[in-house]
Amino acid sequence: MNRPIRLRFAATALGLAVGLSGCAPSFPADPEATLDRVSGGTLRVGISPNGEWTDITDEGEASGIEVTLVEGFAETIDAEVAWVEGGEEQLFTQLHEGTLDMVIGGLTDKTPWVNKGAVTKPFAEVTTSTGVERHVMATAMGENAFLLELEQFLLNQEGAP
Amino acid sequence: MNGNGNGNGNGNGNVKGIGFGETELPHKQLEVLKKAVRLEWITIGFLAVTVFLVFLVMGNSQAMKAAWIEDLLSFIPALVFLVALHVARKKPTAKHPYGYHRSVGVGHLVAAVALVTMGTFLLVDSASGLITAEHPSIGSVELFGQVFWLGWLMMGVMALIALPPVFIGRVKMELARELHDKVLYADAAMNKADWMTAVGSIIGVGGIGLGLWWADSAAALFIAGSILWDGLKNMRAAVEDLMDARAMTFDDSKPHPIVNKVDEYLRSLDWVADAGSRARDQGHVFHIESFVVPLSRRTVSLADLEKAREGCIALDWKVEDIVLIPVTELPRVVQESQPARA
Repeated sequence: MNRPIRLRFAATALGLAVGLSGCAPSFPADPEATLDRVSGGTLRVGISPNGEWTDITDEGEASGIEVTLVEGFAETIDAEVAWVEGGEEQLFTQLHEGTLDMVIGGLTDKTPWVNKGAVTKPFAEVTTSTGVERHVMATAMGENAFLLELEQFLLNQEGAP
Repeated sequence: MNGNGNGNGNGNGNVKGIGFGETELPHKQLEVLKKAVRLEWITIGFLAVTVFLVFLVMGNSQAMKAAWIEDLLSFIPALVFLVALHVARKKPTAKHPYGYHRSVGVGHLVAAVALVTMGTFLLVDSASGLITAEHPSIGSVELFGQVFWLGWLMMGVMALIALPPVFIGRVKMELARELHDKVLYADAAMNKADWMTAVGSIIGVGGIGLGLWWADSAAALFIAGSILWDGLKNMRAAVEDLMDARAMTFDDSKPHPIVNKVDEYLRSLDWVADAGSRARDQGHVFHIESFVVPLSRRTVSLADLEKAREGCIALDWKVEDIVLIPVTELPRVVQESQPARA
């Protein structure tokens, strides 16, 4: 590549970066505007029952460690939680299709569903007979403002690693 | 007469020193060589740090992955240069009568094939990310007690490592010219273009930050394309040299002038009616076969040939393995390759 083209390339790149950064509402932003939509609205959470982490009654009453965390998070962004119960595969398919905003169910960082959802940083560490389990939640892929908001909330909780 | 056979017995072959095979390097080239070796070790050190840093922060960004693989691939030309240099120094043996100069060409080809392979892989990988509309997820990172978006760290690291290779590349380019080393040239060219990879990945990650999920894969495509382009360009150059194409300058821009100089020198001798040479690039040095047509009715003595050969060798350090062949008429290829004569 010769010099004038290189210079023009650099100038364009710089111009693009400066120009685009001026017009973004938040950085990082969500391609599907999840954080904007759920703030003051409805947070659609898939829940797969898993011991003390997550549970849900036939009447739709959710409970468990992660349920408490999600409800606390929803409060910080002024959102109502709509629980959707299901198996992991079903929930992650819905998450990938965009009909859910996040999925909980005692997931760990070893979850095989990383192609269907974005996992948070671990918010709890539990030592079991098989080793250390690092617990995570899953959000819709690429919704980085929402993911960052949730991670910041989880990291500020007591007992976060 | 095979001039090389004589030269080995009483020529420079017995002198000890650093060089390429039988070729002794002049003082200036020796200094350049030492500098090049030092620079390649600096490059390897810098790359080791770069690869480690980028690996730590690359997360789910395809553009960062592409940049990381390019950094990893950048080790190859530097290592090839050092290994080829070590091998090319060996003296010719009965088993390898032409010496080990071709190690440079072999290394050049290996590096080029590695670039083509990884470039193609990354191109397909990034394109499939674009087609299946994968939305890259980048979360938070905690550093020095601060929680912030990992993308900032990615862009910071890439900005930090963007420029040093450009300066290293510029210096290497000059050294490659002096040493006539095409692996060093390829390495320098890649280093010089390295900032585009860094800027590309900054744009990709910046695009993710702006909510443009496709920017990441698009930037990765651009980086993959540049790797593939480098590979194809170098593969062509390496194959040309291994196919004994005529000797070119270190950057393959034009035929090497030394071949013409040899012809001109030979033609200027009082017993020569016409002369023409064919030269192949062995790596650092050339193997030259010079055909000379003596003037009619002039007896050519061994001393004439020996003197002519020494005269050629004195022209340039790259001319060492030269063979003079007295003929009645110049072969066709040699006649065709000569520029129009006055």
